[in-house]
Amino acid sequence: MIVAELSNRELEQRLNGPGLRLRTGPVVARIQSPLPSIARAIALQYADYATEDEASFSDFRVRVGRPRNLRRWLRPQAQFFVDGNLPFTPLPLDQAFPMLEWGLNWCVSAHCHQFLIFHAAVVEKTGRALILPAPPGSGKSTLCAGLVNRGWRLLSDELTLIDLASCEVVPLPRPVSLKNASIDVIRAFAPAVTIGPTVRDTTKGSVAHMRAPSESVRRGMETARPGWIVLPRYEAGSAARLTSLSKGRGLMHMADNAFNYSAHGRRGFECLAQFVDRSSCYEFAYGDLEEAACVFNDLAAGP
Amino acid sequence: MVCSPKVRWRAVSADVLAWRDWDCEVVVFNQATGSTHLLGELGGEVFRRLVGAEGGASVDALVAGLTDEPTGADNADWSAAVAGVLSDFARLGLAEPDVS
Repeated sequence: MIVAELSNRELEQRLNGPGLRLRTGPVVARIQSPLPSIARAIALQYADYATEDEASFSDFRVRVGRPRNLRRWLRPQAQFFVDGNLPFTPLPLDQAFPMLEWGLNWCVSAHCHQFLIFHAAVVEKTGRALILPAPPGSGKSTLCAGLVNRGWRLLSDELTLIDLASCEVVPLPRPVSLKNASIDVIRAFAPAVTIGPTVRDTTKGSVAHMRAPSESVRRGMETARPGWIVLPRYEAGSAARLTSLSKGRGLMHMADNAFNYSAHGRRGFECLAQFVDRSSCYEFAYGDLEEAACVFNDLAAGP
Repeated sequence: MVCSPKVRWRAVSADVLAWRDWDCEVVVFNQATGSTHLLGELGGEVFRRLVGAEGGASVDALVAGLTDEPTGADNADWSAAVAGVLSDFARLGLAEPDVS
């Protein structure tokens, strides 16, 4: 069953009761929340996702609710629980859905050590993964959203999971987090795409989530082999420039953006080195999303 | 003292290090520290020679392997450069002087 097959009432009952067991790639999160904004956002953003039955295993049990304190009457807040613990301070109530998304990312990066995990967007074409490891503000999510709307499959806009045994990328397709100017850039770039409401004044500025394409969700268990590692950098007004990067520097950038690479010791290094061995590495500067998409589509058309 | 041209140096145990050699660069993972190091051209070459030298190698031997020039004044610069690399390797736990 997928979320879209649940009526609004059924969805709210699950969220208010035993929890909605939502599968995203290899992960099942059991989500509970009494907040109508969470139910609306899940109905919009996760319509195509599989729900597991109540008896099935879930990797995390998360809940987004309102703290029972005096502030709830003045400046209502939302708080995120995972397995009964509060890993974050509460946020304003209108940030409940971004908080759920950030919290789910945290759950994966802090617990799913069966994978090598990197802070990087990743998309796929012709069976090969294009990884975009970069710090916040480099245009990583914007480029990811742009490529996804020009024929690439979304694997993740935030967390790249590499399977330690196969050295292939495991998809974790979830809504793409767009920030600030990127929201209108993607609205103009792909007018048909579904983007949720803009939440302002978060720690990351204004945030809105782009719904993951249905096909990316449907193919959420289909891994991708190594293809390209590209360090993106948005430069206003710049022509697209794709420049070769040595494998050594490519590996170091991946390591710099890793969550648990060192924890895996030699096995982590061997897996990452094998992945880099089988990838081409580049730096990429761009100022125009359409031009950027052309560059990567040409790259994917090659050997 | 340990950077004396005659002191022999060796890479630490292969059980501790893992590495990849890509063109002019060597990337080394040190299991003992959990750190990964990208070695430049000279560092990579010194590392390759240390790993390949059974029983280790002295600065003099490493310099002789790096240059085609006969021993002379220029080698003092090379010796200093190689000694600097070895000192860095010791700090990073990649190599150690044989003081036995």
